Amino acid sequence: MAADSEPESDVFEITDFTTASEWERFISKVEEVLNDWKLIGISSGKPLEKGVYTTGTWEEKSDKISFADFRFSITHHYLVQEASDKDGKEELVEDALPLSMQDLLCMNNDFPPRAHCLVRWYGLREFVIIAPASNHDAILSESKCNLLLSSISIALGNTGCQIPLFVQIHPKWRRMYVGECQGPGVRTDFEMVHLRKVPNQYTHLSGLLDIFKSKIGCPLTPLPPVSIAIRLTYILQDWQQYFWPQQPPDIDALVGGEVGGLEFGKLPFGACEDPISELHLATTWPHLTEGILVDNDVYSDLDPIQAPQWSVRVRKADNPQCLLGDFLTEFFKLCRRKESTDEILGRSTFEEDGKESADITHALSKLTEPAPVPIHRLSVTNMVHSAKKKIRKHRGVDESPLNNEVLSTILSFLFPDAAEKLTDGSETRPTTSRNNPPPESEEYNLYSQFKSAPSDSLTYKLALCLCMINFYHGGVKGVAHLWQEFVVEMRSRWEKNCLIPGLASGAPDLRCCLLHQKLQMLNCCIERKKARDEGKKAYTPDRSPSASSGDTGKAIDHSVGDYQKETEKEKGEVGKSWESWSDSEEEFFECLSDTEELKGNEQENGKKGGTKEGSKESANLKPEGRLHPHGKLTLLHPGEPLYIPITQEPAPMTEDLLEEQSEVLAKLGTSAEGAHLRARMQSACLLSDMESFKAANPGCCLEDFVRWYSPRDYIEEEVLDEKGNTVLKGELSARMKIPSNMWVEAWETAKPIPARRQRRLFDDTREAEKVLHYLAVQKPADLARHLLPCVIHAAVLKVKEEESLEDIPSVKKIIKQIISHSSKVLRFPNPEDKKLEEIIAHIMSAEATIARARSLKAKFGIDKCDQEEEKEDLERFVNCLVEQPEVSVIGAGRGAAGRIIHKLFVNAQTMTESSDEVAAMTTLDEEPKRSGSSDERRLNLGAVADFPPPAGRELILRTTVPRPAPYSKPLPQRMYSVITKEDFQLAGAFSADTTFF
Amino acid sequence: MVTLKLIVVGDSGVGKSSLLLRFTDDMFEPYLNPTIGVDFKVKKMVVDGNLVQLAIWDTAGQERFRTLTPSYYRGAQGVILVYDVTRKDTFAKLITWLNELEMYATRSNSVRMLVGNKIDKPDREVNKREGLQFARKHSMLFIETSAKTRDGVQCAFEEVVRKILQTPGLWDKDTQKCGVQLETAAHSEEDFCGGYCTLT
Ligand SMILES: Nc1nc2c(ncn2[C@@H]2O[C@H](COP(=O)(O)OP(=O)(O)OP(=O)(O)O)[C@@H](O)[C@H]2O)c(=O)[nH]1
Ligand SMILES: [Mg+2]
Repeated sequence: MAADSEPESDVFEITDFTTASEWERFISKVEEVLNDWKLIGISSGKPLEKGVYTTGTWEEKSDKISFADFRFSITHHYLVQEASDKDGKEELVEDALPLSMQDLLCMNNDFPPRAHCLVRWYGLREFVIIAPASNHDAILSESKCNLLLSSISIALGNTGCQIPLFVQIHPKWRRMYVGECQGPGVRTDFEMVHLRKVPNQYTHLSGLLDIFKSKIGCPLTPLPPVSIAIRLTYILQDWQQYFWPQQPPDIDALVGGEVGGLEFGKLPFGACEDPISELHLATTWPHLTEGILVDNDVYSDLDPIQAPQWSVRVRKADNPQCLLGDFLTEFFKLCRRKESTDEILGRSTFEEDGKESADITHALSKLTEPAPVPIHRLSVTNMVHSAKKKIRKHRGVDESPLNNEVLSTILSFLFPDAAEKLTDGSETRPTTSRNNPPPESEEYNLYSQFKSAPSDSLTYKLALCLCMINFYHGGVKGVAHLWQEFVVEMRSRWEKNCLIPGLASGAPDLRCCLLHQKLQMLNCCIERKKARDEGKKAYTPDRSPSASSGDTGKAIDHSVGDYQKETEKEKGEVGKSWESWSDSEEEFFECLSDTEELKGNEQENGKKGGTKEGSKESANLKPEGRLHPHGKLTLLHPGEPLYIPITQEPAPMTEDLLEEQSEVLAKLGTSAEGAHLRARMQSACLLSDMESFKAANPGCCLEDFVRWYSPRDYIEEEVLDEKGNTVLKGELSARMKIPSNMWVEAWETAKPIPARRQRRLFDDTREAEKVLHYLAVQKPADLARHLLPCVIHAAVLKVKEEESLEDIPSVKKIIKQIISHSSKVLRFPNPEDKKLEEIIAHIMSAEATIARARSLKAKFGIDKCDQEEEKEDLERFVNCLVEQPEVSVIGAGRGAAGRIIHKLFVNAQTMTESSDEVAAMTTLDEEPKRSGSSDERRLNLGAVADFPPPAGRELILRTTVPRPAPYSKPLPQRMYSVITKEDFQLAGAFSADTTFF
Repeated sequence: MVTLKLIVVGDSGVGKSSLLLRFTDDMFEPYLNPTIGVDFKVKKMVVDGNLVQLAIWDTAGQERFRTLTPSYYRGAQGVILVYDVTRKDTFAKLITWLNELEMYATRSNSVRMLVGNKIDKPDREVNKREGLQFARKHSMLFIETSAKTRDGVQCAFEEVVRKILQTPGLWDKDTQKCGVQLETAAHSEEDFCGGYCTLT
């Protein structure tokens, strides 16, 4: 962009600034804004406390104004202050100096770590800037500059505003401002010099003092003393000798084991490169008076070691590569892949390599061999850069199906029961790994907030494996491959009646992700099928938990009697073996077949034998399917004990099925017929229970049923009978008696059929097939979406775990926010990508912060520090560095941290001076050697060898003198200068008496 | 128009269906069928100038049907939990209902209202103070009603809707931005020149 000398070439050119009316309009617009913002009148406020510019809050307000058709923005920047007792003070300070003029001299906020440059230069607590609205426009010519300056001068004078008003000139990046502040009879001019080359006389204190004095042009002799504040900043970039301590993952070492933190079922953590790039040391002389120390072009007393104040800030590497973040990001990217599993794997993969694929498909069976796949535990040897290279090599470049070893390791991790199962024939309960938080703990229950899955579940583990595979083992191809294997395994478990491990039993847990529910559903199916297939041994009641063995025995006992009847009826089918039923025709039968019943009875008969017969629908029908007596209740008519029947469990449902169902139900509308139909559709369970009840209690009536099922609808009253005795008289509640009552209707249709011979309420065969189909058609992207909550869940737990080792309050806070944010986002179906990205970004920032803390701890050698107290101080110091923009070093160069920083610089200096003698570098344990020899570099004459030339040199000169005449009011004068490698800036605020000059 | 989903839960016979019938059709039938599974009603109303369509799911209190009902908590913006003031046991069971709600509600900020019904009946077992206390303890709205005399019924539904409309992020698809925005980790560096850090 425009260099100093470049001719103006802006839109600005075509505006005629001299048109009086435009000019006046502009001024009045400025005044209007100042008025609107209530910046008029005497400014008041408390004296500034030390450090408020850093600890306080800065705010800004903006508006747009224009000069003819040139658009400006006008912005008020201010430190938020407690409301001061403005009214009371006002009179007292009638002709006091404007606050801003007083601020010029205040020394409590010199060199703020983060501040607007005008704050840095002039120490102002508030100011207004008028700048071109567009970043591409700039005020370049001197005449326009003057015109604007006069405008603001007039606006300030007209309004009596005491807040400094600045105009930004030249291209914005140059940060050139001119401005003015007015008070009663006083005025301060703010002016600047900005140069690319530093004139020699400006490089040292004595030269700058000369300039300051000549600018003031004070007629007094001797001049009142000038107060001086100096800050020299040194930058340390060279950390070379302190290797970033992250254990690099060794990917080539393959699978399993704790290889560089890479383990299936775990997420990796930490930065792959140093997340701290620079250390900035500011050495400050906050309060010097002229003559105390010498700093001229041949000699300097400014030795950073001797500076009374040290403060440090660190520069963070932008987006350091961190493992957990990478894992998450890459996994999230999967969500956008369009391909189906088949498309990704390509049928050919398996056809070409038929033998291999057969091996793979049965990888699991290998696990049952006596020697399981060895799990490697390799030591970490490689350095960071090689690890990074490898990560790159493994990432994305070669998407491939998994190799056999990886696959079998993963499968054995996911299905730990497989190995044991075939050997001892019993199922193993999923073992909770030692790394999991205990159930019922807040952490464990995170899954219900995230709608993920419990951290010891198969689903969760699968998510982590897929995440790992996606990153290291073949990308999306690997993912598709594992998923294919997983689906094959699911089907084989269904076919073999082998429960899936790592899933809580019972109906699908609606608090978990849909995929988890689907797996639970499949397990329900397997359980039912298994129970049914094992029915030949003994019928397992659905409500088994409450059934005592005695009762069950009884139930069976009673059912035995049906044998002969059944035999006759089912004769044609008896020939078929149980096995052939279950294997070939299973898909077609809708109810527990009578054959099964028969089979069960046969076995019973083998032991006990049984004879009996009864006619259906009669009171002397033999009871069937009893669970246990219902307390002491007896049937109303025959007076026999009332039995609770064995009932069918209602069908388990996943949330998508429920959704579907409720949609169907809602569609029936709100008419009476609709409602009736709705009730009917949902009465299958009621009907089934009635049938079971009837079967278990021959001769019962609806009242009996209601007494068990909805006792409140059976109302008992004490009445007097004919003989005058009080007796209990019961009847159905009124609502049960209305003619259209669904219960009555259902009761009339219900036949006495025990649960096991009823039509199945839950068709496990169909449901299992539905689940298996659902699983099979999931694309890698679908999977990633299903499992993202689990991965986020795991990532949060990981960050939490790592944070607990470092104890960083700001990270604790982020974690809390991530959890509350995630639980809001993830509970909704189809959360927006943007929100998910946000969550991931926050996890990444937490990871980076922890990595930074670790890097700094290593650099400051905290682990090597053997003095307990010193160690604690250092730890605190390092934590502050992570969280605060700038941290002061207690004891400056002589404190514990100061000495370490000194050594760091000395080492870096040695390195650069004798870069080929790396071996000779000083270690942290050696005392830094102070080289007293003089050095030619003019910027750090004091500590030649120890520190590099300062990257920045700031100076503030302040005094109070009368201007322009000796008899004028003494007023604050201030000049700030900064020299960096690239340029030199001078910013002066010179006040003058406008009344007595 | 805003569509809101409400769900009514509570023990069998406390009068859930009756409350709903009173609200939607302004009727009272002394003998309603016990609800089987879930029933469904819709009603349009205007609350604070907003036209609102309510889809209300009436669930069976009967234990045996309950396995179905948890799914209806999903996505409900408002939950109306009913007990019968003349039956202490229905009040005692409230906590079970709340647990179920806790478990299955998908919106963490759904509005909950506790309703003590049948106040027209003389044989009260739960007084108003107890109801209030329970509601306060569990941050719920509270009202007593009679489906028979229509006392409080309209008001109950109106309050729930009003509260939902006032809860940010609960009802408008676009404002489902979920309230809290995380602080952005990186402050904008632009307007601030921190020492030399912008120059080096
Ligand atoms: N006196 C009086 N009776 C009521 C009131 N509300 C309901 N009832 C009666 O209480 C009985 C049960 O009412 P329902 O509305 O069917 O109860 P519910 O809660 O829907 O019951 P379930 O559908 O089984 O869960 C009916 O006989 C109603 O007439 C009321 O406010 N006052
Ligand atoms: Mg009902």
